[in-house]
Formats: sequence, C-alpha cells, structure tokens
Amino acid sequence: MALDTVQKLSVTFTLNGESVQALVEPRTLLLDYLRNHVEVTSARRGCESGQCGACTVLLDGLAVHSCSVLLVTCRDRSVTTIEAADQDPQLRQLQGAFVDRGAIQCGYCTPGIILSAKALLSEKPQPSDMDIKIALAGNICRCTGYYKIIEAIQDVAKRSVAPGAAGEAAR
Amino acid sequence: MRTDIVGRPMPRRDGLLRASGQVVYGVDFKVPGMLWGKIVRSEHPRARILRIDASRALSLPGVKAVVTGRDAPDGLYGARLWDEPILAKDRVRYVGEPVALVAAVDEDTASEAAQRIEVEYEPLPALFSPFEALREDAPLIHPDLGSYFHREFDCHPVPGTNIASHIKIRKGDIAAGFAQADLVHEDTYQTHPVHCAYIEPHAAVARWEPNGRLTVWSSTQCPFLVRRQLAVALKMPVSRIRVLATAVGGGYGGKALMKIEGACALLARAAGRPVKLVFTRSEEFIGTNTRHAFSIDIKTGAKKDGTLVACEARLVVDNGAYTDAGDGVCWEATIGATGPYVIPHQKVDGLLVYTNKIPGGPFRGFGWPQVHWAFEQNVDALAHRLGIDPLEIRLKNAVEEGSLSSTGEALHSVGLKACLRAAADAIGWDKRERQPNRGYGISVVNKLSIPYTSSSAFVKVNEDGTIHLLCSAVDLGQGSDNAMIQIAAEELGVRAEDVDLIPADTDTTPFDDGARSSRLTFHMGNAVRKAAAEARQEILRRAESVLEVAAQDLELRNGRISVVGQPGPFLSLAELVMRSHWLHGGPILARGSHVDEDIVAMDPETGQSPRPAAYFEYGAQAAQVEVDPETGQVTVLRMSSAHDCGRAINPLAVEGQIEGGAATGLGFALMEEVQIEEGRVTNPNFMNYCLPTSLDMPPLATTIVEGYPHREGPFGAKGVGEASCIGIPAAIGNAVYDAVGVRITRTPITWERVLDALERKKST
Repeated sequence: MALDTVQKLSVTFTLNGESVQALVEPRTLLLDYLRNHVEVTSARRGCESGQCGACTVLLDGLAVHSCSVLLVTCRDRSVTTIEAADQDPQLRQLQGAFVDRGAIQCGYCTPGIILSAKALLSEKPQPSDMDIKIALAGNICRCTGYYKIIEAIQDVAKRSVAPGAAGEAAR
Repeated sequence: MRTDIVGRPMPRRDGLLRASGQVVYGVDFKVPGMLWGKIVRSEHPRARILRIDASRALSLPGVKAVVTGRDAPDGLYGARLWDEPILAKDRVRYVGEPVALVAAVDEDTASEAAQRIEVEYEPLPALFSPFEALREDAPLIHPDLGSYFHREFDCHPVPGTNIASHIKIRKGDIAAGFAQADLVHEDTYQTHPVHCAYIEPHAAVARWEPNGRLTVWSSTQCPFLVRRQLAVALKMPVSRIRVLATAVGGGYGGKALMKIEGACALLARAAGRPVKLVFTRSEEFIGTNTRHAFSIDIKTGAKKDGTLVACEARLVVDNGAYTDAGDGVCWEATIGATGPYVIPHQKVDGLLVYTNKIPGGPFRGFGWPQVHWAFEQNVDALAHRLGIDPLEIRLKNAVEEGSLSSTGEALHSVGLKACLRAAADAIGWDKRERQPNRGYGISVVNKLSIPYTSSSAFVKVNEDGTIHLLCSAVDLGQGSDNAMIQIAAEELGVRAEDVDLIPADTDTTPFDDGARSSRLTFHMGNAVRKAAAEARQEILRRAESVLEVAAQDLELRNGRISVVGQPGPFLSLAELVMRSHWLHGGPILARGSHVDEDIVAMDPETGQSPRPAAYFEYGAQAAQVEVDPETGQVTVLRMSSAHDCGRAINPLAVEGQIEGGAATGLGFALMEEVQIEEGRVTNPNFMNYCLPTSLDMPPLATTIVEGYPHREGPFGAKGVGEASCIGIPAAIGNAVYDAVGVRITRTPITWERVLDALERKKST
C-alpha cells in the first residue's frame, strides 16, 4: 500500500482499566483508533473538528474530544469510554437518569454527554444548572434542547448527596 | 376515552442501549469485504463537463473502481418532480454536485484517489438569485424541465422558465377585500438557508447479491422512499432492491430522501464488492440540502377593530439546482402563507425557482417557519399600528373548529386559541411590564402533514404471547417506537413490555411513506391500531374453541384472556398461541393500513380544496428578549411553547419534541446560517456554522394542549414534531420589535442587523 509507508509507533495506554498496546502511525487520532482498531464505536464521529463532542471520552478523567487527540499523546495515560459503565456506578446512574428523564432522543451524542457529565460531577458533585451548561458547551445535542439532559444530571447529583451533606446543599 | 397505556409517559425502550453506545448507526455498520467510497464533487456552480481523467486514481494501489456519469444509468429521480441524476452526466448545476465516484480498500486511499481524479470543465454563467433566474433572458438551468416526470397533485412546473413549480391560492375577491380594509400593512421578509445538522452524517453500505439483487443499509428516515428512488435512478424494479434502516443519529428531514444510497450502489456494482460511504461534515454542508431561503412580499388588510379581511402574498422560494423536496415545501408554504386565520379574501403565489446552488430540501417545518416569519410579523405590525394587543389580534382572527382555511377547508381538531392562551399565560403575557430594552413576542403555529401517503403494519403474535410489530416506522429519536408500542399494547390488551418493534426492512416489514412530515403518529399509529384490533379479534376467535366460550364474551387484558366481567380463570396468551398452533395452525398475523381517503387535489388555478391534507398541528410560541442597544445583541430570556397534538400518546416524548423544536427554531432565528457566496458554501463546518449549545437555550415552559382530538387520529392523536420549531423565529422577531421598536425582516436576527436597524431608526 502506497500510503502505508510511515513508520509506526508503539503506544501503551489504559482503556477502561485494561492496558492496551497499540502500534500506530504518528497521525492516528484517538477516535480513529477506538473505532477502527478496538471496535469501541460508542465514541462517534460527527464533525471531525472538535466542535460537536460526539467523540467525547475521558483522558485521565478530563473530558476531551477524541477526534482532536493524537493517540501518541495518550501514552501511559488512562482513557475512559462509556463502556466503563460496567464498572462505574455513577456512569450507570447517569445512563439510567438519561433514560428515565427522556434525555435521549437519537442518542448519537449521549455517550459523549454522559462522559462530560461524569467529568463535571467528579470535580463538582453538586453543580448548579449553569455549571452543567458550561460543562456541556462542547457537546452538541441537536434533538433535545438540553433541558431534559440538565434535569437528568441534576437527578444524579442530588442522589449522590451524602445524608450529612444534604443540609449543606440545601442552604 | 380512558386508556391504560396510551397517554402514559414512557421512557425510550432502547434508551439504555443508546446511552451505552451499543446501537448500530449507519456510520457503525459494516459487512465483510467492504470497500470505502468517496465522491468527487463539482467545483463549479454551472459548467459543462468536458473530460474526466481517472487514470492517476486507478494507478493508486488499493483503488478498486471509479464511476463517472458516462457509466451510470440515466434515470432521474426526485420526490414529486424527478430532475436529479445520481451522477452529473454532461453538466453540473451546483458546487458540490457529484461528478465521479471512487472505491478503495480504505477511507484514506479512497480520499487520495478522489483527489487524483481530474475533471475538466467549461464554466457557464450561473444564477445565484431566484430573482435573476426569473428574468426572461435568464439561461435555463433545466432546459428539459418540460420532459421531467412530476406529480400533478402538488407540483406545477413551468417549462421554458426556471420555475420548478407555481402554486396558487385565489380565495374571495382580493380587490374587494382590500377595499374593506381600514389599514393595510405591507412588507418584504426574507429567510436564509440553514442545515439540518444531524450529528451523525449520512452513511450507507451497498452490496449486490449473487442473484443480482441490491441490498442497502442506510441511516435513512424513509426506507421505502429510498427504495423507490433507487429503483427509478438505477432503472430496476423495486422488488430487486432491499433497503434496511440502521439506527439514525438524527435526521430532522435531512435523511428523508435519497442522498448517499445511489452513489453507494453504483460503486458497489462497479467494484463487485460491498461499499461503504460516509459523508464528511463538509460534504454535508455542500452536498446535501439546506432549508429553503424564501423572499416573501406580504400585504395584509384589517378593519379598525383588528378583523383581518384580506391578505396577498408572493413567495419566491430558492429551489437550488435540483428540486428534491422543494415542490412539497412550496406547496405547503403557499397554503400556509396567510396563517391560521379566518381571512375571506386571499391571493397567494408560491414560485419555486431554480438557482445554481445547493438544493433546498426537507427540514423540520418544511416551509412553515419561513412563512410564519413573514405573516406573523406582518400581523404583529398591524396590531401595533392599530393599537391592539398582539395576543388579542391573534385570538380575534385565529381559526377554530369549522373555520375555513386558505383552501376553503372546514377545519377540524383546532386547538389554536387554547395554545395561544397557554403560551401567553406561561410567559406572563397579561402581567408583562414595560422594561427598557426588553420585550415580548408571540406567534401562532400551524402545519399540515403531507397528503397522499400510506402506512401499513403487521402484528405478529409469538408463541410466548409477546407481540412483534412489523412496521417500517423509523425512530430517528422522535419516539415513534414507543408511540407504536403504546398504541398496539393498548388496542390489543397486552403489556407494553411484551410488544417489540422489528426494524424496517423493505423485504419483510410492510410499506410506509416514511418518518417525515410529522406523519407517523397519525398514519402509522392508525395502521398499527387497526392491525392490533384485528389481531385481538383473531386471538379471541381462536380462544373460543379452547375455552368453549363465545368470542364476544371474552376479553384480552394484560396478555390474559378471560370471560368478560369475571375475575378468572385466565388463559394466558402464550398458552393460547401454542395450543392454537397445534389446533388451528398459525400464524396469528394481522394487518392494518391507513390511507387518507378523502383528500382532494387543490384546483390548480384557485388552490381551493375541501381537504388537501389529513390534518393540521397547531401551537403557539412566545419569547421574552432583551436587546443591548449598544451592541445590537439579542438575548432570549425565556420562551414558552404550547401545542395541540390532538392527544399525547407519550407525553414524555411530546415534551421532548417541543423542547428540541424550540432549539431548532432558536438556532434558525439567531445563530445558524449556511453562508453561500457565488454558489459556494463558505462555512462548511461546525466551527463557523454555529449550532445552539447548552448555554444558548433559555428557560422554556412547555404545555401540551389536549381537548381537541382528531376524529381520525389514533386515540385522537396528531403529530407534533415539526410544529415545535415553527413559531419561535417570529416570536423572537416580534419580541425584538416590542423591546426596541425595530422590525428585523431578515433572518437570522444578528447583532449587525439589529444595530443597523437601530441606527436607521435614530436617523429618521
């Protein structure tokens, strides 16, 4: 193959808790690696330019657009996709709240939005609506107008209030 | 009517699957041995193709096939007017039109090969404005217009011109009407092109089977429509084509008609292997559709007390290079141009005009947001000039049960006035106070659903007593799966969780006209309900011999058969089906269909018809805005949206439709614009095409208005999906006027336009 002449690089990183060793061209994007090499298609291509957020994953816990991250920069770092919900109760709770609230229509943006919400709740367990809006500003949802998404995230945030902290949050 | 399952909020059946990223959208779909395709697109708005040289592409290792217009069948396709080839033959009509196709072993190789295909053009003078195209000396974009197939019902081309369709309304006596008016307000309003901007791009896989049949998997809203268009364009019988719908990552109209499947099929045939095509975001912007840009001259006459007496409008609809859904948009917009008001004297001309630009196409609202932008501001201006409250003038003239529409139809199921009151109350209309630079605006909403469509459904009862619903309704997020499940379960007497939908496959699921025009709840809902009723009868008939009780004395509830009025014993549906298989043979398979039976074509000269379409959705939307007089920036502080959908089958999904539609309306009003210069889209990406984000959406109060059920709707239901976006732009426009006294007549309402209008106001 004529295009296949570039020297490949070895990259080791963690994907949903498991170590992965990849041999890729330097230009390989995290999104393309996930979709085309390890069949993680929950990260989705929408705009190819870091605008729509359908490809959002967590990189060391921070929400990033995987279409704009070179895989080689993930060396020795931890990548989390929605598949991690199997081991992460909060991701499961978010998924359930999104379903119950009607926050999912076509669902194309949903895994990315849930991961952005997860990153927010890790940093700010009791966010205001404005905190949520800011955290989701990099995730476009064309279906819902975001209202039910914000409600779903608040549902999970409120549920996670520890008994002793409830009064704190209410004040 | 009391119901157990219909009317209950029901979360998406496949919600967790979607939230887990496990749903297979078109972009995810794969088959073994698949190649990747790419499309070479025209760089000229109008040109003759002189030569295509693919030798440098074919010499690239990994390239398996190249197809040009010369190798393609010469079938033309469309929705009503068939004017578009899959691949340009000898001429191109817009920048972005497909001229050649290439298939290769992977996406990168296909992209590289596409760049190596050399196309030599002879550029021709192009037409970028419909007004230029209407001039008598304008070159003809489609010289063969007269020979194209078209559907007479709602499309009237004018051969020898660039007019793809001319639709007319002539009602009453327009001169006499204006003679009665105490005040006439006249203005010109314009709307701009926007894109559906579904986040999943178009994607399809095509495979030719050894027996010569074609299989296509596509992220489409309308599998049967795509199959018909493929058949016409490829000149083969529909039965030789199988279309299967993948999950759809948003559509909003943009995935209703064939866009990618034809090219994919041609490539797969040439390569002798399956081919996958996925559009890039840039291709979406240059090579699919926009919402049609309109220019609307409108003149409305009213009595001093606000009674509307006459309205005259001329719509010039920028069709772009091919008609796609433009004929339908022009037809609906002409019917809707004077609003859902009782106006005895009307004259409307809708002109659909070819230009050398990206074709306009279907997008949520289908011409209605554009005409609402015009007449709802026109009516507002009249109200202000007459000193009448904008809500009052609307309530005074709004249609109600039995009112005559623009086509002379006596309307049924009209909750418009209730919607107006609900939207006004929700935003505090009656208690509003005058605050500097803040204002309120309101707009009515109405929209019809396209006529002459058909839906059909099968209900299959499984041996374990569960139900498989075979219908070709594609749930692109709007929630039709749940609506169909709820209708079927309610009618049958089974639990909703025991009903499942089989994904659309033209080989097995029955005919339907597609997920478009807010039609599934009404049309498919009826088909499903009839099929379910038939299945229920069949079940009870079979139970007769098992229970030795007459069928009319039996009932089916919660999946159990028992004697009416007796607490038990029960025969479970599962047991009945199994026993019945051995006793009578199977299958228990019932069918149902819905067709609009009494639709009458509009008179081509007067546009009059007692029933041009099955039903209208109604609504009202209001906005409160703040305008910064220094910068012209418009901030929407809050919105309200009230909708009459007859009966909400699933209120959770109806709310979702209302909320999402509000975002679509707000994006159109304030932010989104496909910028086209000399026929070239200059912002084909989400960096420069700004979609509403979470930060852009103001608080929204939604109201579902019930109490106006449609006598033909399933459980009284009508659609709601499109109505939800239609009135927002006009409501915001009216609120801007209320805030700072300037009328913005052109969408989008940008800060430049507001500032400019404020400057002009100051200087006069």
